[in-house]
Amino acid sequence: MSTPDDLASLLREGFDLEPADPLTVDRSRVVELARSLKGIGFEYFSYCAAAHYPATDADPDRTVVEYRLRRLPRDEVAFRVWVPTGESTPSLCGVFAGADWQEREQYDLVGTVFADHPDLRRIMLPEDWEGHPLRRDYAIDTRHHPWR
Amino acid sequence: MAVDESGQAFHHPIYSFLEKMPGLSLGLTTADQLLTWGSSNSLFIFPMATSCCGIEFMAASSGRFDLDQIGSIPRGTPRQSDVMVIAGTITVKMAPRVKKLWDQMPEPKWAIAMGSCAISGDFYRDIYSVVPGVDTFMPIDVYVPGCPPNPDQLFAGLRRLQEKIRAKRNGEWTDPELRPDTPGLRSPNLPRIGDPRREASLDEAQLDAVMNLDPGGGMLRSGDKS
Repeated sequence: MSTPDDLASLLREGFDLEPADPLTVDRSRVVELARSLKGIGFEYFSYCAAAHYPATDADPDRTVVEYRLRRLPRDEVAFRVWVPTGESTPSLCGVFAGADWQEREQYDLVGTVFADHPDLRRIMLPEDWEGHPLRRDYAIDTRHHPWR
Repeated sequence: MAVDESGQAFHHPIYSFLEKMPGLSLGLTTADQLLTWGSSNSLFIFPMATSCCGIEFMAASSGRFDLDQIGSIPRGTPRQSDVMVIAGTITVKMAPRVKKLWDQMPEPKWAIAMGSCAISGDFYRDIYSVVPGVDTFMPIDVYVPGCPPNPDQLFAGLRRLQEKIRAKRNGEWTDPELRPDTPGLRSPNLPRIGDPRREASLDEAQLDAVMNLDPGGGMLRSGDKS
């Protein structure tokens, strides 16, 4: 899929980014990027997903959050944010209301902390669950009661 | 007569009535037979259907197979049901809800674990959120293996349950059903209810979870919380 001209110029001029799928954005500019994209018609918040990467020689322990937006019928853009464990990334709830529950899900399962999120609670697991089970360092034989 | 969750003893209001009235105690045997005949042939089912086994259950209850031919109809409320059919994977978050619904059913009551997920968790068993078999938190009378079981197999299970009910009322001993377990799975095998190796703390934790259940607490929209 070719990048639409207005998207390419927005990314190059406003954010100094080459069009890619996905883009990698710094945490400090992610809200600004989302708002600009919404301004040129990317109004459909497709999804927000996260994954955990354990520490390597080059990188610290971190999670990556990927957002994908669509401009119906066919244009789409994805951007991802790297978040070191122990730090937080700005929430997109202020731009897209649909990001609320999806970011809660990422917090619940992967443990990414979203700053300024209006209501960062667990959404799928029981409220008193300990740990974030989709992290690589979550032991598979963690003991828990079969009910909550 | 004591009433307990395992269904080993049974009490019905009609017994105390008959015991009080002089001469009527002779009717106990006959009343017992009548009750047995009645309850084994009108098993109202509470469908605790959470996944694909529920579809097979729907097939069993509709026209082609017709649960009504053995007097069973699905009832959408635990308070008017005799049998809970647990059809599907039960997650850790769902388990206290299932247990609460089970506690709301009036005695006498029975439970059928339908399908491998309800029996042992099957291949979802090692997942952090899945209960390795519903008999880790509630007693089960009949296991219906299959993935999912055919409607025929569900019927066979109901037939076995009817035989169990009749045998119990006639004072005959029926062996507890063997849990058709899946060998070779890694997850710790939690002892079933009634197993002497079962830790008492498991039951206490379960009771806590059921009693402290917050109905609908997780369903609040984010704006509602204040």
